[in-house]
Amino acid sequence: MGLGAYVAVSGALFALGLIAILVRRNVIYILMGIEMILNAANINFVAFNRFGSMKLDGQMFAIFTIILAAAEAAVALAIVLNVFYLFDSIKPSEADLLRE
Amino acid sequence: MSELSPYLADLPRLAPELLLTALALIVLVWDLVLRGRDSRKLGYLTLFGLVGTGWLLVQQWHAPTSTAFGMVVIDRFGTFFKLFTVGALAVVTLFVLSDRREKKHGVGEYFFLLIGAAIGIFFMVSTNNLVLLMLGLELLSLASYALAGFHKGSKRSAEAALKYIVFGGLSAGVMLYGISLLYGLTGTIDLAAMGRNAADGSSISLAAQFTASPVPVAIAVVLVLAGFAYKISVVPFHFWTPDVYEGAPTPVTTFLAVASKAAGFAALLRFIGALFMAEGVEVAVSAYAQRIGLLLALLAAITMTLGNLSALRQTNLKRLLAYSSIAHAGYALMGVAVMTSAGFSASIFYLAAYYLMNLGAFGFLLFFEGVTGSEDVDSLKGLGWRYPLVSCAMVVMLVSLTGLPPTVGFYGKYLLFYESVDAGYAWLAVVAALNSVVSLFYYFRVAKALFLTTVEDKPRVLQPVLTGIIAVLAVFTIVTGLFNRPLQEWANAGPASLHIPAAQK
Repeated sequence: MGLGAYVAVSGALFALGLIAILVRRNVIYILMGIEMILNAANINFVAFNRFGSMKLDGQMFAIFTIILAAAEAAVALAIVLNVFYLFDSIKPSEADLLRE
Repeated sequence: MSELSPYLADLPRLAPELLLTALALIVLVWDLVLRGRDSRKLGYLTLFGLVGTGWLLVQQWHAPTSTAFGMVVIDRFGTFFKLFTVGALAVVTLFVLSDRREKKHGVGEYFFLLIGAAIGIFFMVSTNNLVLLMLGLELLSLASYALAGFHKGSKRSAEAALKYIVFGGLSAGVMLYGISLLYGLTGTIDLAAMGRNAADGSSISLAAQFTASPVPVAIAVVLVLAGFAYKISVVPFHFWTPDVYEGAPTPVTTFLAVASKAAGFAALLRFIGALFMAEGVEVAVSAYAQRIGLLLALLAAITMTLGNLSALRQTNLKRLLAYSSIAHAGYALMGVAVMTSAGFSASIFYLAAYYLMNLGAFGFLLFFEGVTGSEDVDSLKGLGWRYPLVSCAMVVMLVSLTGLPPTVGFYGKYLLFYESVDAGYAWLAVVAALNSVVSLFYYFRVAKALFLTTVEDKPRVLQPVLTGIIAVLAVFTIVTGLFNRPLQEWANAGPASLHIPAAQK
């Protein structure tokens, strides 16, 4: 398989993640969409690194991205839990105290 | 040990970052020991540590530019923003300590998270390496998400945190995807190396890729710019700003509006400077830079117009200041859009002015929340006669935010307008001038509420620390407006340390 296939997969994953964020009403799906975008970037990093015969920059970047994604998920879930206690819902559309 | 020694030799150059990290850990552990009781001590310790960090940074200002560990650039550009971050953080710490509504909460983690965010800012403003940029940015963001939701029992705070992390996570992901494309196109994650062809052929310059495949380069650059646009709340990535600023605790809002936004600008300036404008960047890039400049100019015009028009109909002062900060991001973006060394200096100068006047304005908001417990502009009525010092200081801030002389805001705007016209963006200067007129209406409404009505006498609520800070910031706003030479020279050191040639037009 060539580089093109990997980039196509990552592009599709990126698009699916964006769609999940824009269409879904449940915050868990939105967070999953964000994870998909981050993993799309990871596929890019590793694939470019493998096919470009570069230094290990891309692999290293992918590892850091995985850590970032984990840290972000931890903070996000803590916030979602707090929102659930206060609003009895995890739909962003139902937390609407702040608006014009 | 001998293999380690070159790395150990680099460590002293990270002294400010190391001190802040140690401070963060000490604050965290001490808070656990105190179990949330008596967290004021932690605030004083934080202030003490910040003074030390500031002192180390002043030492670095005079040291020559150097690179530690091949990725942390220590130059005057970064040190300038770090000094302002430390200053802003010290003011925010004092805000937390003197916030009358804050005392019922255990505020120990407040300081830990604030210092963590500052460490993120320190790394993100001083690196050409995209991994470190991303890590710094995320460290800042994760701490900010937690800070926005700091009042765990408050619905508004929880909602602000939720909105912040959803938008923030999305934009960080988009930015990271853009970075991965840039990496694929150029074969390097170092911005300076992307600007030019490597001698050993290990990386390809963006210019060469641009002539070969313009569309992927455009997509990659636009995706990365989207991440920055979110951080500095530029249209169309500004939706989160009013909601998060309104729902977050006021000291946190101050931090987000001032330090976090300026850090986003610093990283953006370094990104654009290294990629498109630094010495040794190929000529083919210049034409491309002009297009990016035009895009940024359009965004700047839309951002300031939308920010000002939305601020006009706000009745909540906190939300009004949030929209005003969107408008000011538009003004500061003008200097970036013109893509000249002088434009960058103007932008940096304006950000310094932005620090001073917005710290003052949010300090006033906090003061007045402590007095009335409300955020409405209407409940300000007549307060000017009861609290003359703070209110006069606020009027100075409002004059500066509008951009009228003799304040620093006026001189900053003058520089931005001058550089825009000079670079051929006269229309942008006209739009910005019209916007300043619009902004006069809503800033004046606050001043009018303070002074042009009188109400019955009530006992005064004294908040000496806040009063002092606000008064000092007001004095600074006028003094740096009248004697702007030193600040301007510091701002001019920025583009020079980014290796941007001065004559480039």
